Amino acid sequence: MIKPVLVVGGGIAGIQAALDLADQGIKVYLVERSPSIGGRMAQLDKTFPTLDCAACILTPKMVSVARHPNIELLTYTEVKEISGKAGDFKVKIVKKPRYVNVDKCTGCGVCMEKCPSKKIPNEFNMGLNNRTAIYIPFPQAVPLKATIDPEHCLYFKSIREGKKGACRVCERFCPAKAIDFEQKPEEVELNVASIIFATGFELEDPRKREEYGYGKYANVYTHLEFERLLSATGPTEGEIVRRSDGKHPKRIAFIQCVCSRDILTNPYCSAICCMASTKEAILAKEHMPEVECIVFYMDLRAFGKGYQEFYERAQKEFGIKYIRSRPAKIEEDPETKNLIITYEDTVTSEYKKMEVDMVVLAVGVKPLSLEKFFPVEDDRFAKKENPFLDPVASPIEGIYVIGMLGGPKDIPDSVTEASAAAMKAAIWAARG
Amino acid sequence: MSEARLITIDRDFLNNITSLGGVGINKCYQCGTCTAICPISDTLSISFRKTIKYTQLGLKEKVLSDVTPWLCYACGECSETCPKDAKPGEIMAALRRYLTLKYDWTGFSKLLYLSKKAEIISVIILSLITAFIIYLLKGPVILTTTKLKIFAPPYIVAWSNLIVFAILSIILIISIYRSYKMVMSDVFPKPKIPLKTYIIEFIKIIPTHFFTQKLRTLCRKRESYYIIHLLLFYGYAVIFLHHITRHMLIPLIAPTIHPDELISRIIGLSAFCALFIGSSIAIYGRSVKSQVHWSYSHSTDWMFIILLWLTSITGLLIEVFRYFNLPLPTYIVFSLHLMFVVPLLVLEVPFAKWSHLAYRPFAIYFFRLKEAALRLNGGGRI
Repeated sequence: MIKPVLVVGGGIAGIQAALDLADQGIKVYLVERSPSIGGRMAQLDKTFPTLDCAACILTPKMVSVARHPNIELLTYTEVKEISGKAGDFKVKIVKKPRYVNVDKCTGCGVCMEKCPSKKIPNEFNMGLNNRTAIYIPFPQAVPLKATIDPEHCLYFKSIREGKKGACRVCERFCPAKAIDFEQKPEEVELNVASIIFATGFELEDPRKREEYGYGKYANVYTHLEFERLLSATGPTEGEIVRRSDGKHPKRIAFIQCVCSRDILTNPYCSAICCMASTKEAILAKEHMPEVECIVFYMDLRAFGKGYQEFYERAQKEFGIKYIRSRPAKIEEDPETKNLIITYEDTVTSEYKKMEVDMVVLAVGVKPLSLEKFFPVEDDRFAKKENPFLDPVASPIEGIYVIGMLGGPKDIPDSVTEASAAAMKAAIWAARG
Repeated sequence: MSEARLITIDRDFLNNITSLGGVGINKCYQCGTCTAICPISDTLSISFRKTIKYTQLGLKEKVLSDVTPWLCYACGECSETCPKDAKPGEIMAALRRYLTLKYDWTGFSKLLYLSKKAEIISVIILSLITAFIIYLLKGPVILTTTKLKIFAPPYIVAWSNLIVFAILSIILIISIYRSYKMVMSDVFPKPKIPLKTYIIEFIKIIPTHFFTQKLRTLCRKRESYYIIHLLLFYGYAVIFLHHITRHMLIPLIAPTIHPDELISRIIGLSAFCALFIGSSIAIYGRSVKSQVHWSYSHSTDWMFIILLWLTSITGLLIEVFRYFNLPLPTYIVFSLHLMFVVPLLVLEVPFAKWSHLAYRPFAIYFFRLKEAALRLNGGGRI
């Protein structure tokens, strides 16, 4: 008998691993902690170095996951406990209550229009706009079902405060009668042959380098925020406008290695930022040809296929300027909210100041490790059994760690690891 | 305007810098944060990163012609923000030690900086020589009442002062001249800077930077350290000038003048107090590494600050014992005081840490002269 496999994390790596396993006829449980699969790639506007639309590549795969007869998609679910050994893992998972009956919900969005609790930072848009307490994270979400966030829902708030349940507006307006405030967390035990972890990454907190003024100056962004500004599905529908005054910037500075290659935060290279910033500068130019883009870098790491060409194209075709320097600080002009960058141009050894309208910080990544299930390194990236000859296996037999979780890497490398891990996991599944 | 020159790579140079305290030199990845964060970069066009690069490459000659290390007052802001923990502030301190030993022509400086053993032996030898000289030249020891002037006859004191002062001044002046030569060594062709420029820049720079440490006021970090630094400087300057006037110039030139004893003692006491407080704080700070600029201490730093502390405490004790009219303790403490002050002056002023008192303002002066020279040569940056 072929046993099922568990994949934890519904980003591009988890999706690819799940599809590869399912296509072999293996039953897959795909667990995702948020209401929708898609992960970080869903937040990107385009991908480097080909400038393909990220959603156009990703969405079909997300839909395939949802439709695949061998994949059981468990969104809004978390792994609680793992016991047993390779070939026979017992995994306790907790399905968090959505307070929406997913069989009835049609994803029409009426509840979102009516919900009075509207001031919740939208995670998908990196907090650049707000969402409601009942929400569908983004228009292409899979599954396209609403979820109530009990922390911000007025009904749950009033219950917590010991009052009589108030609001329940969504319930009144839902045409499918899908709202169910009585749902409870549901614990399920799975029996699987092997497990693939693909829990991905988050950005380091750029406030740790306070000299860059993130969180203090309105027009300093992280690259993921900027990615959302560029995106047609983003808060500004693809318009690049400043947080302070809603105007288009004339000059944007991209600063590399913020909280990367930095002994005070993360000493490692985050691998994706050089190309991501190059791509974002190109996209900014495509959106607004008159904008001036400057990238402050120390070493431009264009290591993958077509990356060096992409970097050269950015300079020649798009006129993006590269300055070899790590800026020391950013100050804000209190009137214009423009930003003044202090740096040394290390090619000419000149101490300089530059005024820009917008700064995008290429903030380093850190893994979203689930340390209780597998060993990690000092930097919290998952440990590998053998980084050279078995680069997707965790030291625990039958557990695989892929994508950003195992070390900074780009989408192609994450997908490659996903397929490799799917193969490894399938071996345990086939042994029964 | 420039001609092709051969620059040699000195492998030992980098090792020297490491052993002089620039331990982070190999960590630096040339990002330029140190230059850009330094408040002095706003005023003077310098690049700490470039200096570090030259050092990494072993380009000794480039570094010898570089005044940048002297423009740093060790506030430590660069060491705190450095993403590689290369501690650029410490590298600058190490380079200052290196430049000091290169400016010195006697080779004595090199001995002090590169060998801890030689340094300690030198101090002990000088102390013993001083003790021996005191024994030889001392006057009658009167134990009924304190008569320091009879124990140490003013005439002998004045002549000893003159000899030491003259020798040390000559050594230091030659070293300063050598530093000027080194700073200008990479300016081609040799420019003819007008005498007027020399004079104007001298007047503009030397007194200000000598007496106020004006550049230090630009530093944003650790104002308290600026005060301690200034306290040590003024304590030293006052006691030095007072001593030279009272115990050298007046007895030799105008022996008929008798300065007011009380005022003289008050000046001496307050200066020693300043030195005592300043050096005590520095010793404490260096031992617990309370500040980033005290995180590394070279053996010469310790020797300097300990000798200064011993000098100031014995200086204070002389006055205390004299006040209570304790003849023998006064003579003993006086002899000990000389046994500390002689190594302090003979070793530290021309050869070691104390020389930065002269090198730093002159480096700023030479920096301006070099700028003028490069302008005369038709541009170019330092």
